[in-house]
Amino acid sequence: MSELKAPPQQIPDPEMADQRWRSVLEMASLYVLSIGGALFISALLVAMTGSSWQKVFGALLDGAFLAPGRWGETLTVAAPMLLVALGMVIGVKAGLFNIGQEGQLLMGAMAMAFVGTKLDGPGVLLLIGGLALGMIAGGGYAALAAVMRFRRGVPEVISTLLLVFIAFQIIGFAVTTDWVLRDLDPNRPSRASTSAPLPDDVHLPIVHIFGNEFPIGIIVALLLAGFVAFMLGRTLWGFRIRLLGHNPRVAQKTGVAASRMGTWALFLSGAFAGLAGAVMLAGGGSSYRLTPGFSTNIGWQGLLVALLAQSRPLVAIPMAVLFASLRTGASFLAATGVDRKIVDIVQGLLVLALLIPPAVQFIRERRRALSAAGEEA
Amino acid sequence: MDGHNMTSGEPPILLELRGMTKRYGPVIACDDVAFSLRRGEIHGVLGENGAGKSTLMKMLIGLALPDGGTIRMDGEPCRIVDPIQAASLGIGMVHQHYSLVDALTVWENVALGEKGSLARETTRDRVVGISQRYGLEVDPDAPVRDLTAGLRQRVEIIKCLRHEPRILILDEPTSVLTPEESEQLFEVLGEGVRREGWAVALVSHKLDEVLQATDRITIMRDGRVVEQVVTAEADASSLARAMVGRPVTLRAGAAAIGGSVEQIVAGPGHEVSSDGRPPLLEIADATLRAPDGAVLLDGLSLEVRPGEIVGVAGVEGNGQTPISRVLSSLLTLDAGRVMVEGAPIPTGKAGAMAAAGIVVIPADRHASGCVPEMSVAENLALSSMPKMATRGILRRDEINAHALRLIDEFDIHVSSPDALLGELSGGNQQRVVLARAMSVDPKVLVAHQPTRGLDVGAIEYIGERLRAAADGGIGVLLISTDLGEIAALTDRIVVIYRGAIIGEMARSELDIEHLGLLLGGSVEAEGAA
Repeated sequence: MSELKAPPQQIPDPEMADQRWRSVLEMASLYVLSIGGALFISALLVAMTGSSWQKVFGALLDGAFLAPGRWGETLTVAAPMLLVALGMVIGVKAGLFNIGQEGQLLMGAMAMAFVGTKLDGPGVLLLIGGLALGMIAGGGYAALAAVMRFRRGVPEVISTLLLVFIAFQIIGFAVTTDWVLRDLDPNRPSRASTSAPLPDDVHLPIVHIFGNEFPIGIIVALLLAGFVAFMLGRTLWGFRIRLLGHNPRVAQKTGVAASRMGTWALFLSGAFAGLAGAVMLAGGGSSYRLTPGFSTNIGWQGLLVALLAQSRPLVAIPMAVLFASLRTGASFLAATGVDRKIVDIVQGLLVLALLIPPAVQFIRERRRALSAAGEEA
Repeated sequence: MDGHNMTSGEPPILLELRGMTKRYGPVIACDDVAFSLRRGEIHGVLGENGAGKSTLMKMLIGLALPDGGTIRMDGEPCRIVDPIQAASLGIGMVHQHYSLVDALTVWENVALGEKGSLARETTRDRVVGISQRYGLEVDPDAPVRDLTAGLRQRVEIIKCLRHEPRILILDEPTSVLTPEESEQLFEVLGEGVRREGWAVALVSHKLDEVLQATDRITIMRDGRVVEQVVTAEADASSLARAMVGRPVTLRAGAAAIGGSVEQIVAGPGHEVSSDGRPPLLEIADATLRAPDGAVLLDGLSLEVRPGEIVGVAGVEGNGQTPISRVLSSLLTLDAGRVMVEGAPIPTGKAGAMAAAGIVVIPADRHASGCVPEMSVAENLALSSMPKMATRGILRRDEINAHALRLIDEFDIHVSSPDALLGELSGGNQQRVVLARAMSVDPKVLVAHQPTRGLDVGAIEYIGERLRAAADGGIGVLLISTDLGEIAALTDRIVVIYRGAIIGEMARSELDIEHLGLLLGGSVEAEGAA
């Protein structure tokens, strides 16, 4: 590049800075208010069931973090949620809404099960191969939606969603059919429908720390969160993805073809879900066996995590832990006599509560933009 | 100055504003403004962007609350706090930015905001009634997305007229209209105004139009009224001086004010020699049909040589947008070729046109010219990003420095390169698009309606930049419906009609009458080119 002229001085505007602080404060108080509201309604509901909210809250906290071994469990659950959310973020940044993670996750888990139980070889190789094939399976499954989108104009929101239900059928078929993945051991726990367990040497290594244990999946997920944040924010590739998401026309003009970049984005989006499935299975999900209900809504919840993180990969980390803790905490509710469905309600309320402040902000910014647009002339 | 000094023979004053003041933070948008509207008059409010015209009108319609001043309707003092109240007083406004729903039909759009049950037939009939009564013809059942800008404008006006306003405010009504469309609009308006005894406030920065259509003119600058004149006693140059506060250069200025073409073409055209080399840009027999079978381009051919500005004149909707889109790699030709320096460029292939050195400043800069959600720095670097990355990782310092350099060079008003583009004013956004276009050293610069909606200063500036680009050896293709602009800036003019070029002339031999015939598709004189 040529020599630079001395850049014009930037003068920090105290009034602007002041305004920024005020809006940060406003946002913070909005969050406190809405979350407080959600908790208050939750407490009311608990009180109506005849229990005390202190007991319920204590049980949730115990189940998620405080009781022995529980935070390890929470991290175990958080790992696939975070992975799913990262995939969602990549799609959203490219302007594509892949909401079929539940199915892509199953396809990933199925690939892991196939490599682990049907192929021979050294365990490490099978493990890595299974994770890789899991990514390809999940990504390929999402890429089906991309092909339909860019060849035929089928909205990916619909196709990815419908592919979930096909995935359920495929898994059901796989684990009930002898020549596919069904466990042929006559002593298998569930007679009809399960795959054989992954052999011991194809399990993800387990971290033992402070009396807790968790598979290394969460570490992988955390590293990937940083990686995705870097890729989206700092690289040419990420810039192109964002450009495509914001304005496909400008993207096309500057050489980013929607069909190619978009297919990649959807593939990656699904690959992360597939990896989540493979990590769940190799991390001990349903005793290392693939079953029809294997995904247990992790795909859907990962989607919520991405939604609440407003497509910021690093913000997805605490959100994933929050959702995972609600799940693991719920298992301790039985002792309080409160139906664990209350957790679903609390979760729903929290989602709403966390979405209110950004919505308020969005509406405000829009108003400001509109009035600014009117100002010009 | 205002109504009080007028003799009793004048029509009665319908609305009177005195001492209107409005501040936005430290900025005084309107400072002690006096303004009045008489029955049966069209009153022009003239000024550059930011002169306070829109703010004044917003206070009138209740979108902004004044910090001081009084409003009287028919001599009665009143306070206008919101648009609903303004509507009940009989004040309606047609906004510069359309507020139509693309997916709905014309009559559905007109019915929006109506309360109670929706009777399809009644509403349709009313739309038809209004459009016939005022000569605002439009198909009530057409979806708005299929309408041209001119027709959309009509729908907006019909929406407003449905409430039978006594005072109609038009904010830059012709910024997207063709000359015929705007002429027709004012004819219709003038008639209605005199017949019904309304008053119209016409906000504009086009001198020509204000001179043509109004009875009185109020000129604003920097939030103040600098002059109030009777139109019959005003002329273009004095208005321009009052509006800008300084003399405007003839050539670019004439285009800016949409001045009459005859007075501009006096200067000689810029002579470009063809020395046997292939033209920089050549479009040959371009043919394109829309998915619904409509003919967009019908064997269009044109060429641009180094150092020349070729103007594509024509009535809007005759293929200008398809050309601009084809040259942006957004459309694939059914037949025909696009060549840069003799080498054919595949159409519709992402980035191919840009890679060949064709840069387009599109008319719809929001939709295909820039990314409002990204920062100014990112927008300025859009097309040169690959050059600012090492092994795929962006060099942010360089992107920032690049932005600062262009911000400085093109005088873009922005707090920092990190500001979102969407926060900038329209003129500044256009400068960003222009700065990016020029920063990539293009071979061919295509500018489609580059000055639409801009004020005199910005228009002058953009004209200068286009001229400078051509003088630097770039081929410039200027696609515009503004004949004044074409006549002022171009070396050669081609006329587009129904997707084909039907005539061509050098600027030095520009014959307005002939051009007018060509614009209307009349080719007897010329024969198809």
